[in-house]
Amino acid sequence: MKKTWLLTLVSILTICCVLCFGYNRTWFIDKPVLYWQAFVRESAAHASREDVRRARYGAAYAFCMTIKDSVEKGHIKKDALLLFEPNGYYKDSLHTDLHMPEPALLYYYTGLRGLWINSPGVGNANYLVRIREGKVTLEPILSDGQLKRILDGYRKFTPML
Amino acid sequence: MGIVLLTCCHFFSGYGLLKLFRLQYKLLVMVPLAMLAGVAIASLMPFILQLVYCPLYPGTVFGALTMACILLNINNFRALRASPWRWKRLLRGIRIRLYEIPYILILAFLVWVSVWRCYYLPPTSRDALSGPEAIAEYAVREHTMINSFFTTELSTTNNQFKSPFLISLQVIYKMAGYPFGQVWLSIIFVSFTLLLYQWLKTAVHPVLGGLLLLLLTITPEMYAYTLMVLYDYSNTVYLFLGLYMLIGYFDNKRSALFWSATFFMGIATYIRSETLVLLVLFMPALWIMRRREGTSFLGLMWWTVLFLLPSVLCYYVTVQLYNNHYLPVHYDVSAQVNQRLMELGPLFRRYKDIITELVVSAFGVRLWGYLMFVFAGLLLAELVVMRRLTRAGRNWLYAIVVVFGGLGLLGHLLPLFSLTDSTKRGLMKVAPMMVFYMCNNQLIVRLSHWIRRWEEASADDVAR
Repeated sequence: MKKTWLLTLVSILTICCVLCFGYNRTWFIDKPVLYWQAFVRESAAHASREDVRRARYGAAYAFCMTIKDSVEKGHIKKDALLLFEPNGYYKDSLHTDLHMPEPALLYYYTGLRGLWINSPGVGNANYLVRIREGKVTLEPILSDGQLKRILDGYRKFTPML
Repeated sequence: MGIVLLTCCHFFSGYGLLKLFRLQYKLLVMVPLAMLAGVAIASLMPFILQLVYCPLYPGTVFGALTMACILLNINNFRALRASPWRWKRLLRGIRIRLYEIPYILILAFLVWVSVWRCYYLPPTSRDALSGPEAIAEYAVREHTMINSFFTTELSTTNNQFKSPFLISLQVIYKMAGYPFGQVWLSIIFVSFTLLLYQWLKTAVHPVLGGLLLLLLTITPEMYAYTLMVLYDYSNTVYLFLGLYMLIGYFDNKRSALFWSATFFMGIATYIRSETLVLLVLFMPALWIMRRREGTSFLGLMWWTVLFLLPSVLCYYVTVQLYNNHYLPVHYDVSAQVNQRLMELGPLFRRYKDIITELVVSAFGVRLWGYLMFVFAGLLLAELVVMRRLTRAGRNWLYAIVVVFGGLGLLGHLLPLFSLTDSTKRGLMKVAPMMVFYMCNNQLIVRLSHWIRRWEEASADDVAR
């Protein structure tokens, strides 16, 4: 009996030593303990699936959903091809942290099809997605000439993942 | 309810398969091993349906799972009717001692947190969202894995060509009512943790076994992938199971272990096709073992074919057949191969980078905690003090060397196999191998014997 208790004490001390040693301690507090606190919060007040997605995916998801809303409100066909401004343009010209996700992610989040300025098939783009001060506008691309001017204007910026 | 039925389905199909291999373990090993085999079988079902162009409806998917479960258990039904009380035998020998409880509690805490995040939060890794997760989401809506996702702009990603393992399991769990899927990853994590604990407890004293398992579980990189759906954790688990069985086969020559090793390694290749390269590097160990048994040269070729067949089949079906003949867009793997293979400078630089950047660095500690340092320390101590390694220790060390060597080689073969992504995640495979080397380290084994002898000198209080 005594030995079992002694071994139990050894187990507890070993666990404490391992979890308090060096980087283990930082990791344990930053990850499992923080996750536990999140669990306590989340299990007490269940958020909706959409809220969980918004919280988890952050700004890129919010922009994608705003684009989706704009498409629905503007009665734009769901199979429209949306041309994104390059992320390099947001970073280098507008000096914002805005980062549009790649077209595959836009499709996963919203079911809408997007294109980069250097994507194959960019000539078929129907709308240009402009984001300024958090507001999304969809500008129709009505002619090849207009599309060429848009592409030329963004040519020096890279789309960047 | 869905999870209960799926869990039962995984367990019984896995159990049926293990019984076909004639594997028999005690209950606490059999249950997690059967669960892991069952999840592997489930991951094949939607993919097989897709290969025969059967639409993916809940009826067809769950029908296929049920059918697989029944077919794999036909012999067991017969045996159960002949001897209905054989299940009782499995229940014998479950024993938890008081000093195991602290380890069980801390592991349960880590497991619970991971399970909750898998259940509650959506998948987040870019590699999943821009490929398998999106394909699975649209497969549920459009009833096929070859769906409208492939009509969108995919020039920035190659994740759509990755294994159907993840897509299949996501499809099953989304259809079962889990909108984010992922719960299968928790089943793999829980089963693997339970299984390792049982195997470690068999090898060394539970206090040491619990400590080794804790060291493995708190490996930051590994833990992160228990709650973030991707391929590498599952690949690590199934490759480890295959190796455990293979090393068991080296020890006692039971063909059941060989067949189960080929199955689990086949699944590991199905999950990540480049695993095949590692398996080829494991061949010399099998050849040496067979040569010691007096197998002829022709016999060695035969054993090679048997060993690699499931893996080559998985590789061919997922990479060559499915990617090139089913998907509407194609991926030329050969175009990704390094054209300057004979220049060995980059290869050695890659090995150096693996060691200096991913292991012996502050970044390495953030990835692996202190596991690799403990491993290196114990290896050095064993070499200095004992001056030789045990047979099992040598086998695990060989496996570790193969993975290190193989990852460097893969980085040299495929420049896309980057150091800080693919190689870093691939390195996860050595973590459980290191733990199993440690539990076969003679110093640890001696310490274990010493604790057992000291404990058994009088103590007999056992919490059942």
